[in-house]
Amino acid sequence: MTTRAEFLARIRAEMQKTQGLFAASTAPRPAQPRAAVEAIRRELAERWPETLERFRREFGRVGGVFHRAAALAEVPHLVAGIAREREAHRLVAWHPAALGGDLGPALTARGLDVLPMPPGELAEAAERQALRARIAEAELGLTGVDLAIAETGTLVVRSGAGRPRSTSLLPPYHVAVFDRGALVESLAQAGVVLEAWHAAGAPPAGAVVSFITGPSRTADIELTLTRGVHGPREVHAIFVDAETRG
Amino acid sequence: MNEGGLATPFRERAGRAMRDAFLQEALTIATRKFIGLRREAFDDFPEGDALRDRARAIKEATLQRLDHHLERLVASVEGRGGRVHYATTPEEARAIVLDIARRTGARMAVKSKSMATEEIHLNEALEAAGVTPVETDLGEYIIQLAHERPSHIIVPAIHKTKGQVADLFTRALKRRVEADPEVLTRVARLELREKFLQADLGITGANFAVAETGTVVLVTNEGNGRMVTSLPRVHVAIMGVEKVVPSMTDLMVFLAILARSATGQKLSVYTTLVEGPRRAGELEGPEEFHLVLLDHGRIAQIAGPLREALSCLRCGACLNVCPVYQQIGGHAYGHTYPGPIGILLTAMLQGPASVKDLAHASSLCGACVDACPVRIDIPRMLIGLRREVNERRIASRRERVAFVLLGALLVRPVLYRLAVRLGRLVQRPFVRGGAVRDLPLVLGDWTRARDLPPIAPRTFQERWATLEREGRP
Repeated sequence: MTTRAEFLARIRAEMQKTQGLFAASTAPRPAQPRAAVEAIRRELAERWPETLERFRREFGRVGGVFHRAAALAEVPHLVAGIAREREAHRLVAWHPAALGGDLGPALTARGLDVLPMPPGELAEAAERQALRARIAEAELGLTGVDLAIAETGTLVVRSGAGRPRSTSLLPPYHVAVFDRGALVESLAQAGVVLEAWHAAGAPPAGAVVSFITGPSRTADIELTLTRGVHGPREVHAIFVDAETRG
Repeated sequence: MNEGGLATPFRERAGRAMRDAFLQEALTIATRKFIGLRREAFDDFPEGDALRDRARAIKEATLQRLDHHLERLVASVEGRGGRVHYATTPEEARAIVLDIARRTGARMAVKSKSMATEEIHLNEALEAAGVTPVETDLGEYIIQLAHERPSHIIVPAIHKTKGQVADLFTRALKRRVEADPEVLTRVARLELREKFLQADLGITGANFAVAETGTVVLVTNEGNGRMVTSLPRVHVAIMGVEKVVPSMTDLMVFLAILARSATGQKLSVYTTLVEGPRRAGELEGPEEFHLVLLDHGRIAQIAGPLREALSCLRCGACLNVCPVYQQIGGHAYGHTYPGPIGILLTAMLQGPASVKDLAHASSLCGACVDACPVRIDIPRMLIGLRREVNERRIASRRERVAFVLLGALLVRPVLYRLAVRLGRLVQRPFVRGGAVRDLPLVLGDWTRARDLPPIAPRTFQERWATLEREGRP
């Protein structure tokens, strides 16, 4: 088996043979990513309505369905409406702490069968297995959003405690709730946020960041576009005017 | 549908593809559609051109410090509890994956689309070791059921009709499945959902890996990349060493042009950033994460003639615009990577002798350079390969003699003019409708599929000479 030392030594030996022929430079990174994120936030605090409008347009273009609520308390009503139209009942939701509020009782009161996610990991394999089977049967997945990128109509969600990867993946209908704090204008700004998430001293998170740009799709059979091949066939984004998080 | 096995010569494989009426129609529809989508995507994106230059400069800068960036990547992945393996050859890469499978007692592996695993023929090795590989990209799943190879980097089953897919599903699932893409997709969802939940091993490639953060980046539209990295106990990612990018900021530059070039989307539906195994507090995710760094001819090109091809993002844009690919499709190329870039990658992986015919399967028109998001000069390298094939006497004797004679003619004006006059006489019986047709013997190879413009009654040189005599130029 090749060792790391041998592998790198061969690369260095080849590198020494050439200077490279073409223009070379990496993208300039923010020196203080967290300060740069703050600057972006301050700038967007002024003109977030335009950014939201751009997000709404692009999100619609990629097949997402946009909703708007004045406050988090209105979200259960919207979710119940989405469920009713699709004759869906079983819902899995991020843990209330990850979602920014406990919507469970209000959703249950509207006839939904709610399965909230545990706040962290489950130690017992059998317990995990049983939960996974129930998640796999859910029809709706309710999550928060860490970033909403206006340029591309993208929802970015990080995995972590109380926010399992499957909630936005296994159910056929994904409903994501966000507020103006999640909005960024562009992929480049999202890059600054990603730098900040990875900067030294950043709070711990899960191992996966998912960019979701519309419903799951394929055109692999005769280039006919079909939705929901593996992931959700519908993605709904609910914008909440009152900020849901600090 | 033929596989275009390497036992048949390229010329024959290409000929067969050109006589396949369905394939011809599918290729025309698909390549036109992708060309249109790509053009629209960049028309709406004025900063696209500058970003392409930046992306290329990042690739070049990464190559100039490849050892450093790979060391960073290794340290970050290990810092997040992942393990890194080093494979010089495909055999080694397969052995690494099989060893992981054996050690973890894996019986089934779900895979998301990965050209690197195609390149090392991983599925056959897994099967032989008693691990069932399941391709989960819909196109790849179809190809696997048909026991074929992908014919396009982005749309692997571009050559299959819905009827053929329905027949494959009917046979595999032992129940009648309707030939409707919507129905077929639903059936595949149910079938593969079971596999995702059962599999022990998730195998992926990597579109990028971010050195600074130890992040493996997967780009898919279906969501299978997320499934494969979330549900099984073990995740193995296999990537060519050239896929590393320095930082998240660099990654964003590539994301902005990759999907636009491949399918005309601003972003593919899912861009999944995976950083090692399941973290504390996470309900789901693999317990083990392995990253296999693959050489397979790449390292030798850091200072080699194919260095530029190390910048390739595998978007498939050069396939769609290539007049040769448009005619023959992916299988006729006969290797893992089809199309113009595929010829270079095949030469990189298997040496120039493997492309002695393919090096000529290009009109050198340069459409690929224009379409390439990082502006790889494919024709320049193809010409280099042709020269190498010629110098190393890999080309057929007939071909070498022909080019030596042509070369001799072109550097001797007197002989050249004589040949032109002779040609004008000899061509007479074959000129019909303004083109030379149906030439006899070996020359017929040229005129069978193309028109050859006849030598003009008066050549440019002759007309120029006349003008000069009359003092008019």
